[in-house]
Amino acid sequence: MSDERIVEIVPEAGLHARPAALFVETVTDHEADVEAGPPGSDLVPARSMIAVTSLGVGQGDELRLVADGPDAESVLAELERILTTPEDELEA
Amino acid sequence: MTDAITDDIDELIPASHISLSEPPAQKEATIESLLDLVVESGRVDDRQAALDALLAREEETTTGVGMGIGIPHAKTEAVDRPSLAFARSEAGVDFGSMDDEPATLIFLILVPKEGGEDHLQILSSLSRALMHDDVRERLHEAGDESDVQDTLREAIS
Repeated sequence: MSDERIVEIVPEAGLHARPAALFVETVTDHEADVEAGPPGSDLVPARSMIAVTSLGVGQGDELRLVADGPDAESVLAELERILTTPEDELEA
Repeated sequence: MTDAITDDIDELIPASHISLSEPPAQKEATIESLLDLVVESGRVDDRQAALDALLAREEETTTGVGMGIGIPHAKTEAVDRPSLAFARSEAGVDFGSMDDEPATLIFLILVPKEGGEDHLQILSSLSRALMHDDVRERLHEAGDESDVQDTLREAIS
């Protein structure tokens, strides 16, 4: 099962520090291959912290997420929640 | 990259910010030893403030990004220009990375507090470069400081 969506980044620090760590942990906790990147650009593996860091995604940027696997839908829902929640409201 | 930050690698990371000898075995001590390279070049007004900012960032979540790489970093008023320092380790330093790989290539980034996007930009450019096997290999094999600078100059784009 494959699914994708585009999300605008809400945390002030962007996809960085704690939101980035939660993002990568969420991907590794689900049964799905997830890739991420700016809309219209190359995607990188979302389970790799260095790859996610290399995207340099800041607050207000759009990020395209593509998931493939049994948990595709649920992992995207969870990733969207992380990316659209202000950092101080984010639960570990 | 065509901006002022990465145009001039020698300004961002002068040879004196590069250590090719084994760093301390512990993460905090390694971060301090890298910070001291930048302190010794006269770029840090307040060593303790810079260290506190670096360790606060580590507390939030580790800067061990996997693939044997650690990138401790902070925005701090203790510096007035973006600065990078580098050390490498044969033994590996435990950065608590998600992939459990100890860090063998360690970069420290300090950016002025009002540096805006500089911080994310240096971090992302460096990460992008370090994802390439050949770049990591060249950094491991670099015979002197200028080999490190040359590798970064070519790889950060």
